[in-house]
Amino acid sequence: MTMFEPASVPIAGIPAPVLSFIILVTAVCFFAYVMYRRIDLLRKALPDPRFYELGKRALLAVKYGFGQWRQPRYLGAGILHILLFAGFMILSLRSLTLIGRGFSPEFHLPLLTGAVGFGYDVLKDYVVLMVLIVCVVCIVRRAVFKPARYDHPGGGGHGSEAYIILGLVSALMVTDMIFDGSALKLNGAEGHAGLLPAATLASAFMPESGSPSLPYLHVGGYWVHILVFFGLLNYLPVSKHFHVITAIPNVFFANLDKGTIKPVRHGVKDWMELEECGIGRFEQFTWKHVLDFYSCADCGRCSDNCPAATVGRALSPRMISIKARDYAYTHHPVLWSPPNNGDVQFTGDVITEDEIWACTTCGACEEECPILIQYIDKIVDMRRYLVDQGAVPQSLQKPLQQIKKKGNAYGGNKAKRAAWTKDLEGIEVRQLAEGDAADYLFFVDSCGSFDPRIQEITKALARILHRGSVDFGILGNDETDSGNEIRRLGEEGLFEQVAEKNIEAFRARKFREIVAFDPHAFNAIRNDYPEKFPIVHASQLIAKLLRSGKLHLSGEHVKNRLVTYHDPCYLGRHNGIYEDPRFVLNQIPGIQMREMSRSYSRSFCCSGGGLLLWYENEQEKERMGEVRVRMAAEIGAQVIVTACPFCLINLEDAVKTTGNEGKMEVIDLVELIDRSLT
Amino acid sequence: MDIIVCMKWVPDTSEADLVIDKEGKDIKKDDLDHDMNDWDRFAIEEAVQLKEKLGGKVTVVGVAPEDAEEMLRECLARGADEAFLLWDDAFEGSDGFAVARILVSFIKARPWDLVLTGTLADDDCGGQMGGMLGAMLGVPSATLVSAISVEDGKITFNRELEGGLYEHMEMDLPAVLSVATGLNEPRFVSIRAVRKVASVEIPTLGLGELGLDESLVGVQGSRVQIEQLTMPPEGEGAEMIGGKPEEAAAKLAEILKEKGGIG
Amino acid sequence: MKNVFVLAEHRKQHLRDSTWEAVTAGRTLAKDLGAELTCILLAADTASMAEQLAKECHRVLAVEDPLFETVSSEAFTKALVPLLADKEPYMMVMGNSNAIMDLAPGLSVALDAALATDCFAFEVRDGKPLATRQVYSYKVNALVSFKDAQRIVVTLRGGAFPFVPSGSAAGTVEKVASPISGEKLRKRFLSYREAEKGDVDISTADIIVSLGRGIGDEPDMEMFESLAKAMGGVLACSRPIVDKNLLPKYHQVGTSGVEVKPKVYLALGISGAFQHVGGIKGSPLIMAVNKDARAPIFRVAQYGIVADLNEIVPALEAKIRELKK
Repeated sequence: MTMFEPASVPIAGIPAPVLSFIILVTAVCFFAYVMYRRIDLLRKALPDPRFYELGKRALLAVKYGFGQWRQPRYLGAGILHILLFAGFMILSLRSLTLIGRGFSPEFHLPLLTGAVGFGYDVLKDYVVLMVLIVCVVCIVRRAVFKPARYDHPGGGGHGSEAYIILGLVSALMVTDMIFDGSALKLNGAEGHAGLLPAATLASAFMPESGSPSLPYLHVGGYWVHILVFFGLLNYLPVSKHFHVITAIPNVFFANLDKGTIKPVRHGVKDWMELEECGIGRFEQFTWKHVLDFYSCADCGRCSDNCPAATVGRALSPRMISIKARDYAYTHHPVLWSPPNNGDVQFTGDVITEDEIWACTTCGACEEECPILIQYIDKIVDMRRYLVDQGAVPQSLQKPLQQIKKKGNAYGGNKAKRAAWTKDLEGIEVRQLAEGDAADYLFFVDSCGSFDPRIQEITKALARILHRGSVDFGILGNDETDSGNEIRRLGEEGLFEQVAEKNIEAFRARKFREIVAFDPHAFNAIRNDYPEKFPIVHASQLIAKLLRSGKLHLSGEHVKNRLVTYHDPCYLGRHNGIYEDPRFVLNQIPGIQMREMSRSYSRSFCCSGGGLLLWYENEQEKERMGEVRVRMAAEIGAQVIVTACPFCLINLEDAVKTTGNEGKMEVIDLVELIDRSLT
Repeated sequence: MDIIVCMKWVPDTSEADLVIDKEGKDIKKDDLDHDMNDWDRFAIEEAVQLKEKLGGKVTVVGVAPEDAEEMLRECLARGADEAFLLWDDAFEGSDGFAVARILVSFIKARPWDLVLTGTLADDDCGGQMGGMLGAMLGVPSATLVSAISVEDGKITFNRELEGGLYEHMEMDLPAVLSVATGLNEPRFVSIRAVRKVASVEIPTLGLGELGLDESLVGVQGSRVQIEQLTMPPEGEGAEMIGGKPEEAAAKLAEILKEKGGIG
Repeated sequence: MKNVFVLAEHRKQHLRDSTWEAVTAGRTLAKDLGAELTCILLAADTASMAEQLAKECHRVLAVEDPLFETVSSEAFTKALVPLLADKEPYMMVMGNSNAIMDLAPGLSVALDAALATDCFAFEVRDGKPLATRQVYSYKVNALVSFKDAQRIVVTLRGGAFPFVPSGSAAGTVEKVASPISGEKLRKRFLSYREAEKGDVDISTADIIVSLGRGIGDEPDMEMFESLAKAMGGVLACSRPIVDKNLLPKYHQVGTSGVEVKPKVYLALGISGAFQHVGGIKGSPLIMAVNKDARAPIFRVAQYGIVADLNEIVPALEAKIRELKK
């Protein structure tokens, strides 16, 4: 080591260790204060108990945090991010070391000495070069290739922050290279050149050994590096790059209960007694909601996959995070006092009603978010507020009122819930009275009971069960709407009522399992109801019957036609059932199957089920079902099989409006199996 | 501004299969759900919106038996301040005229600036309440009203005529307005909103409280009486009109003319 | 002597069709009751309208006052009470137009009369009239009596009493001075307002011509507009038509659109999906034209034609214009 080490060169007469101390203390204090303000807002937010199942959470942190599990869903950007992330992990040790070098030229982190230390230096040097290259690629990608998902069509984006951070990181790498490159020359250690590519590359641009400018480069490079480092550190919590700090905690505290909706308020006995319910003001978010806002990196993957955004509805999920974070930073600022809020209403003005009602709760955004940010809970909470205020779109009011009065959105007479059973020739469907028992309780739900088109599926399933010698029965007039969409539209009180009625009906009867063909009903009973009952989806039961040889199929109906399967959101994403329907389809002799560009967890919502069938959106330019039908047309599919009655209705409609009538058939899995029975 | 809204509790007949009862003077109502008359939903919403703008009090009132409390409670949840049920066994069988009398006896006993109601009710399809109330109260009235605004003791509004034509009008208060559907967007009433007003008392006022004589209400006090209900003839599905296009069109035109389809 | 009075309805100095229908119904009623028929015209300028009425009615009472410029319920009521006081009015007959809806109920109270609105048939038993009207979402016919009423006001369903010219009467016009001349009204007409195109409220329209997907990909919208105009109705549609931007959203009928209760609903190219049918359940008369004989709309319609719209619609319009003479 030479006398030119930064720790030994005073700057403007100040001894380097003193300067290091001042910079360190100032930067850390400022950082600590910013973090205090950020954490303070978390502390002021509403409670959400997430300190359970810590082992499971640690695994989440490993898989989605350190393991970057979801990054490769976008392959190019994902690889770049994984490289950057790895670089950060490795270079963090280097940064600590360099801070120490401001105090002592001999500073080393424990363990990073001797051969290990040299090994690390070599690794670090490769990584520096890699990170620099990645940064350049990222900048070029953004500036030249402009991926569409980085756009903010409605404004309000923070695109420039990406350049700032990439610039700062690049500067870190370059100053590190200058520091080490000049050291190579100063110390005449060029023998290691082959092992230190970054330093060697930098040194190639430097004057020969012995040049008087080398010490300046070395020491200057060091201090610039230190300043950039602390600048970067302090930039994180005031920008969209806070995720560098919060992403792993965010993943650790992620939601563990898939398919359901959070309670109206945690830690409250009777939410009905609350002054306000849902989220109308920012203060009504939970701390985890706020942590989500902090953590959003504005990568745009949620919105890129959002069907509502795709068809031109007002919703873009990430903008909820971004607008809420902007609101949080403005109204809970680090310095000075918050601005006067005036009449700005968070729910309604910051996040508009159009955005809030546009969501189909399909879950594509949550499936995509690399750091497991949740959107549905927040949207439902804001809907709860709007419902409480009476601000429900007119198109949804009628069906909701009908459910309140008649237990179904169709306005059908309660007493006619089981009327469909009369259309079944030669099959007696048992209506289970209280105390009756059957192996399977067939939960038909309102759509299956009252919608003439969906009744066809109901009857088909009854025939299949009959053929498979399954002992089953229905609740008949004791059945009430499952309530899946009621809950997701924010009318929690009504949801509780219908759930309670169904639970009472379940309790009064004996059965092994419930079977439902509507994934929404399946989801509500499986995930939402406060009391758990064993339930299977029709596709699972049919798979079981096929496996045990109780059903036999012919390939006549789909003969010579290309078949594709559309994953319903509430079967696939929300409940992870992807394989059973495909297994069932593959049992049809000679069936030709092809997957659409979007399938499995990337399936594209048809525009929503249950009450959403009634919802009218004024902004959309085309219907989601039409987008989906075009995807099927792209692969030349002639039959779209789905496993959800609402997908069926929406897609059948879309086949007509896209001019594919006669060319393409939409059929429910249950109907197809019914028609293929031999 | 103090507003009284007259609400009607009607059987939900629009989507039900109706059956005429044995006496042939009414339909069987046991299996029918009852609900707030749809037109009145807009009246209560308009009242609450006017109150939110101008202050004052909204009182809702319905001439109906106890079951209708549900409707009045929903009105409270929508923002009404107080609700009254007007019922007495003697009210049974009242026609529109007798109902108007009952309502007037209630309205006259309290301060008010404006009475609102729906233009039409789904049960008797009479469309007479607003006009009768106005005449009995001695104040001006208007039906099929939208675009209401109030200024300096005067109220302006549009009155709907046929074919997209409106009369823009001005009226002195106090007054009675029968609103058209669609003049506002009625708010949603959640289960919780109703729960919040669950403990508000809804008094029932009968003959005595209203100072009415038995002869003025019910069948006795009515001027019109239903003699016989019949179901209009209804075939299975449509009667298909055949023939060449011109012939079919001519036949269709004749039917249209006959049924009032040419206005 | 019993007297039947027909109240003439006018707008912008023209008698409306409802007047002629009321004259026709009033004539039959007067005959069956053995009563005298008189037509009352309250208008700002009665000359030409009174002359027209006199061709159909033996006696015409014409009252002129600027206050009768429009059918003002307040002015009409205030005038009719003294005008009829010494004329022993037994029945007042008038159309059930939107203007009369404003007038008849209050008038019945002022005249101390029994009232039946929207009647579509009458009969006379024991010298007393009975009316048939519809109740319970217009789904049930109700025969109503007026007990021992000394005075009766009835309003008539549009189209229920097609005009029949008398062929004889050259009536007399009696001009009477306005009893309310110079009075200040508490309810004042300010102006007519045409609904802007975006303000058409199909929910209250009596006659609706509704278009569905079956009108094709490149429909001749003018043809349909012209038909609706000839019928005096408004255009409505099902969702696909809105999707194609052929009509704005507020024209959409259905559970997710606007629920309508017209007297007549003419469904052109509408298949009859439940979402749509749910919005027209309040309509007592549904007529459907569709290419597809199996379209579910025929299950809810009373009359149906299986045909190509491009052939039917112009023929229908021509026929309608002919019937309107």
